Amino acid sequence: MGSAAPPAQIPTSFGHELRACLRCRLVKTYDQFRESGCENCPFFKMDEDHEHVVDCTTPNFTGIISVMDPSRSWAARWLRIGKFVPGCYTLAVSEALPEDLQNLCQDERVMYIPPKRV
Amino acid sequence: MSHRRRDMDDLGPGEEEDEDYIDEEEDEEEADAVRSGKAGGRKRQRSEFIDDSAAEDSEEEEEDDDDEDDEDYGGGGGGRRGGGHRKKKKTASQFFDEEAQVDSDEDEDEEQGEDDFIVDGGADLPDEEDARRMHRRPLLPREEDQEDVEELERTIQQRYARSSHTEYDEETTDVEQQALLPSVRDPKLWMVKCAIGHEREVAVCLMQKCIDKGTELNIRSAIALDHLKNYIYIEADKEAHVREACKGMRNIYASSKILIVPIKEMTDVLSVESKAIDLSRDTWIRMKTGNYKGDLAKVVDVDNVRQRVTVKLIPRIDLQALANKLEGREVPKKKTFNPPPRFMNVDEAREMHIRVERRRDQMTGDYFENINGMMFKDGFLYKNVSMKSISAQNIQPSFDELEKFRQPNENGDGDVASLSTLFANRKKGHFMKGDRVIIVKGDLKNLKGTVEKVEEDTVHIKPKARGLPSTLAVSEKELCKYFEPGNHVKVVSGATEGATGMVLTVEGHLVNIVSDTTKEVLRVFSDNVVESSEVTSGITRIGDYELHDLVLLDNMSFGVIIRVESEAFQVISIIQLARSARVDVDCIPEFSFVLKGVPDRPEVALVRLREIKCKIEKKIFAQDRVKNTIAVKDVVKILEGSCKGKQGPVEHIYRGILFIYDRHHLEHAGFICAKSQACVVVGARANGDRNGHLVSRFSQLKSPARVPQPPGKPHGGGLPISVINALFAAASGRNWGGRGGHDALIGTPIKVRMGPYKGYKGRVVDVKGQTVRVEMDASMKVVTGKFEAFLCARDSSRYGSGSETPMHPSRTPLHPYMTPMRDPGATPIHDGMRTPMRDRAWNPYTPMSPPRDPWEDANPASWGSSPQYQPGSPPSRTYDAPTPGGNYSEAGTPRDSSPAYVNAPSPYLPSTPGGQPPMTPSSAYLPGTPGGQPMTPGSGGLDIMSPVV
Repeated sequence: MGSAAPPAQIPTSFGHELRACLRCRLVKTYDQFRESGCENCPFFKMDEDHEHVVDCTTPNFTGIISVMDPSRSWAARWLRIGKFVPGCYTLAVSEALPEDLQNLCQDERVMYIPPKRV
Repeated sequence: MSHRRRDMDDLGPGEEEDEDYIDEEEDEEEADAVRSGKAGGRKRQRSEFIDDSAAEDSEEEEEDDDDEDDEDYGGGGGGRRGGGHRKKKKTASQFFDEEAQVDSDEDEDEEQGEDDFIVDGGADLPDEEDARRMHRRPLLPREEDQEDVEELERTIQQRYARSSHTEYDEETTDVEQQALLPSVRDPKLWMVKCAIGHEREVAVCLMQKCIDKGTELNIRSAIALDHLKNYIYIEADKEAHVREACKGMRNIYASSKILIVPIKEMTDVLSVESKAIDLSRDTWIRMKTGNYKGDLAKVVDVDNVRQRVTVKLIPRIDLQALANKLEGREVPKKKTFNPPPRFMNVDEAREMHIRVERRRDQMTGDYFENINGMMFKDGFLYKNVSMKSISAQNIQPSFDELEKFRQPNENGDGDVASLSTLFANRKKGHFMKGDRVIIVKGDLKNLKGTVEKVEEDTVHIKPKARGLPSTLAVSEKELCKYFEPGNHVKVVSGATEGATGMVLTVEGHLVNIVSDTTKEVLRVFSDNVVESSEVTSGITRIGDYELHDLVLLDNMSFGVIIRVESEAFQVISIIQLARSARVDVDCIPEFSFVLKGVPDRPEVALVRLREIKCKIEKKIFAQDRVKNTIAVKDVVKILEGSCKGKQGPVEHIYRGILFIYDRHHLEHAGFICAKSQACVVVGARANGDRNGHLVSRFSQLKSPARVPQPPGKPHGGGLPISVINALFAAASGRNWGGRGGHDALIGTPIKVRMGPYKGYKGRVVDVKGQTVRVEMDASMKVVTGKFEAFLCARDSSRYGSGSETPMHPSRTPLHPYMTPMRDPGATPIHDGMRTPMRDRAWNPYTPMSPPRDPWEDANPASWGSSPQYQPGSPPSRTYDAPTPGGNYSEAGTPRDSSPAYVNAPSPYLPSTPGGQPPMTPSSAYLPGTPGGQPMTPGSGGLDIMSPVV
């Protein structure tokens, strides 16, 4: 592992309980999000307010990519997740972050790219 | 390193550069403003940056930044990006420095760079960089910049506070993404086989393994695609790394081959189409489950996060059942039927004592009627359902369905056929070369043209307007098929599929068509229509009736069914009794139209099925203007009336009216109705001519014969002479002196010699060319056949005339005699027996017998001249009517030509002069075989007969 960043939690299952963060596309189970939030987007405070988990994550995503070395992975860079912590991400989510959370991102000065609609 | 810079890093790597430049530009603008005028310098700097951005190392730079960033994340300090930090930022000019420094880091190795950044933190770098920067941008004095730093920063901050949102929202452009395309220096993607269904698991496990093993594993990422079963991708520099990583993994088939993904295809691996359906308000969907399964519904609200949608649909509610339930009455458990969709009538519900609450929805502010927990508005049911229970792909609402949705609020949303719905439903290859299209979106809206070429999603059209390029490439989604009023079209999909009609009006992408069959107006999407000259109904049968059947209607008029529709069965029929008319009947299962009219004024009427009395199947004949007989399938030409000059086969004849089918006739499914008197059979001669046709043959053959008709043209051959002879003999025998020609044949008894009616007896009803129409005695059916198919059944006349009876007795005793005395005796006996009999048979009943005698006389081989010969022919005559024919051909002719023959073999060839020398002798020499004997004459007869036919 080229990066010193500690990896995100690894999903503990591979089924329907998986959800992806709408901003960084990190994939974990609902419970994991609820318990420890999103490693890349701590400002969503999912671990504090469980409602946020529903708002900030989606079960509707396509494909999984486990990024072991984000900085040196071409795939991660291509997917624009090269600056996030190592972990399991999804290739694409289909929904956009709710507007209020988008505003939150803005306030936090973090980048948010809504998914491209096909 | 400035914090500010870090903020920028949060943008995508591609954008980050852009950001920086913009930043810089703006900074400079500020600087310019402050310093008032250094335009030249600014320009130059800018170009420098552009150069920089083009520099090859941009990726490296990013990576460095990335690394740094990762550290940030590692630090986990979310607050770090707070506004407070920003305040402490270094000056804008420092930011420039940094930019420049990054540029200069080109050759630094990644790791190195990372370290540098971490270590330097920022303090030392600026100085060094300042110097460099001065070099590069001598026109931008740094000191001045710093003076205004505070103010500058504020301004910038403001600016960004305002604009940041939009900037963040800005979608990464393709160009930026291009910069990320994989190069040879990037890790490769390897395709590894794994257990089906465990793709995600494998990817996750690899992640876990990497975490556990630390840096041992040199793989960068593992990708499991939802749509690719049995494989995952692993990103690594070397195959060995992949193998290493796969070692010991349960669900990876490490032994199988590991394939490398070509660089060019790497992006394809990651470009995953978001499978999510773009559900938005007003999208048409169909329910997938429950009572409403298959029902069309419209999305009114979408909750993407909870994966639910609110849809409105036409309720299927059994109010009675609901009332029962609410009142606690027994509700039958089994659901035997699904209530039909019907708008909710609140008043009705109230009448049934169903409680209706009117509530305001907090979210939308709309009022809903709440009945037992269900929400209604305007009669629609508003239902919140899971996204999984609806299907939004390929929804093709029919026009009817859409109409229904519009009903309650009449003025309703004009989006009935919203374009989005329309386009979503298009199939591939919707447009074809030559289609007329109109552009419905964009700058070129309303431009018409024709399709020249179709590529994937792009259609090349040839615009009609002048001054435009000869072809334009237009997205399929901006195009619509275009029709003009008057076009004849066919509906190729939707509820009215198969119907044809004429375009009446075009409203956007809707066309109104007058159906050919029902004359009703259909509203269909232009997408569902193709131009066609076809006229069809789709259905060709209804009840016992079929398209193009001639039917009798209850009002005693009749007509031909010209169209049957699924929903309307139309008969084009016509006809008041005395009047000739075209019958166009269109039938509808429930009702149908009959078009009534007179020959020149055909009427089509829509008749109900029950108004059709019966099918008219009888074969009827009519006469054309020149008295030719017209039969079904004869091709006739219309000589007068509006359809003058048209011609076609007669499909039906009834009461002197012909229903003629002319493919080229566009009305009434091609049927033309005409009086038979107004038509002439195509290809027929004048009546007299035609009659003389056969006569001439006869006269040719038997020149001495007295034929009443003048000889016609010499017969051109084709029919075996014997056939004609036979037929004619039969005819002449009967009708001698009466009508002549082929008319003479009419009424001739006949026997069918071959085909399905073989053995049937009948009478000739018509002769035309080489075909004979014979009415079967038994069934009254008229069959048509060639001459060859019939025997002239002389004997059939016998039973008719009664002469047969006396003959039989005489014949029976004949046999015994015949056998023993065959050679010598048969002749006289036969002769004796037959001759009188014949005379008796013929003479009493027909006036023609006298002519016959002369005829016999004229024949050199007649009775008197060759008594020896007679024995043969008479038996055949006796047994079979057609024999005379045989005589003409085989016996008669030789007789005429060779008297020698007649004389010489007389003793031994009594029965078969020409036809069967081998057989006759044998039978002749074996008088002891009585069994064989009867056969001989019989067979002789048959043989003679066969040539006849």
